[in-house]
Amino acid sequence: MQDATFDELADLAMQRSGQFIPKSKSYLIEARLSAIARREGFGSMDDLVHTLKARGNAVFAAEVAAALVSKETWFFRDRHALTQAVQEVLPARLKASNTGRLKVWCAGGATGQEAYSLAIMLADNLPVALRGARIDILSTDICKSVTEHARKAQYGHFDIQRGLSIHRVLAHFKRQETGQWEALETLRNAVSFRQHNLMEDASGLGQHDVILCRHVLSGMARPVRGVVAERLAKQLAPGGVLLLGEGESLTGLTKALEPARNVRGGWVVEGTANAAAA
Amino acid sequence: MKRCLIVDDSRVVRKVAGRIIRDLKFEIAEAGDGAQALDHCREQMPEAVLLDWNMPVMNGLDFLRALRRQEGGEAPVVVFCSTENDSEHIGEAIRSGANDFIMKPFDADIIESKFAEVGLI
Repeated sequence: MQDATFDELADLAMQRSGQFIPKSKSYLIEARLSAIARREGFGSMDDLVHTLKARGNAVFAAEVAAALVSKETWFFRDRHALTQAVQEVLPARLKASNTGRLKVWCAGGATGQEAYSLAIMLADNLPVALRGARIDILSTDICKSVTEHARKAQYGHFDIQRGLSIHRVLAHFKRQETGQWEALETLRNAVSFRQHNLMEDASGLGQHDVILCRHVLSGMARPVRGVVAERLAKQLAPGGVLLLGEGESLTGLTKALEPARNVRGGWVVEGTANAAAA
Repeated sequence: MKRCLIVDDSRVVRKVAGRIIRDLKFEIAEAGDGAQALDHCREQMPEAVLLDWNMPVMNGLDFLRALRRQEGGEAPVVVFCSTENDSEHIGEAIRSGANDFIMKPFDADIIESKFAEVGLI
């Protein structure tokens, strides 16, 4: 890949999806764009960029930018954090909101494993405190094809075994003739999916009691992280909690949120940490 | 350090799995069939067993049933690892005392996440 090609693609990723791709990781570009390049018949990244510039096609540019975002995920990633979300955070939110209803948003949910993991936990070990509650789980991703993949809920041999016990595979999925494992209808119905770019206004997605945005901000440039976190903060229902991935922090990036008391990796709207129970 | 016994009649599979599981900080022992594995367990009961199904002399299922009947044989976490991965075979393995089941082929991510799932790491 020529230097100019790398620069073009790194700029595109930065502007449209806030991604910071250092030159030392230019291999990520090739890996993430290989499917598009193959489909469109480009022999090289240089060809792809040449066409991108010549065509001036905003839809294609957005697709390329979306493809440049990491899709790395697996079932029950950071198992303890998900357990905490279901066993502690959701019951506390339900008690505080008094509506009998909870809304959960997996922001940057890629192929849906995190959202389905939550739904599986709620189906297998529903905490007593959540009995009778209506819990909506929404998962969004910047990438259209990834969102469609998530909605279809079909996983291959390796993905289905990454994080799921065989008990859970057999209880919640059915093997198709293609060899893919498809989530049963009950599981598919427990989660909804939307395409959404976290750089953009999210008010159309509504207010959420819990937002999980894990291992998403860490791929973004530092200034963008603060902006995205502020957009997420606006979608938190009063007293709602934002859960980040292990090792991720907003310290020094935004004043809109502060660490939640008693919730590891949890962030709440500034000035409410003392009120937010867990 | 926890010990893991890898039972598979393929030397290549034992080697590949051994390298992955050693990276998870286990001490590795190997057996080429169920009878060898049973002998090994009588001498020293491991904390974990990665178990193939089809093997000469004694297959994985017979080994597992014999192991679970032994004194102290209920303790090891047994993860089946087989190409016999239709639901009948999987169900049979679980009913016979397997803690989890890996469908071959596997990779490092699968072994690591399965070991985490059954509480080994």
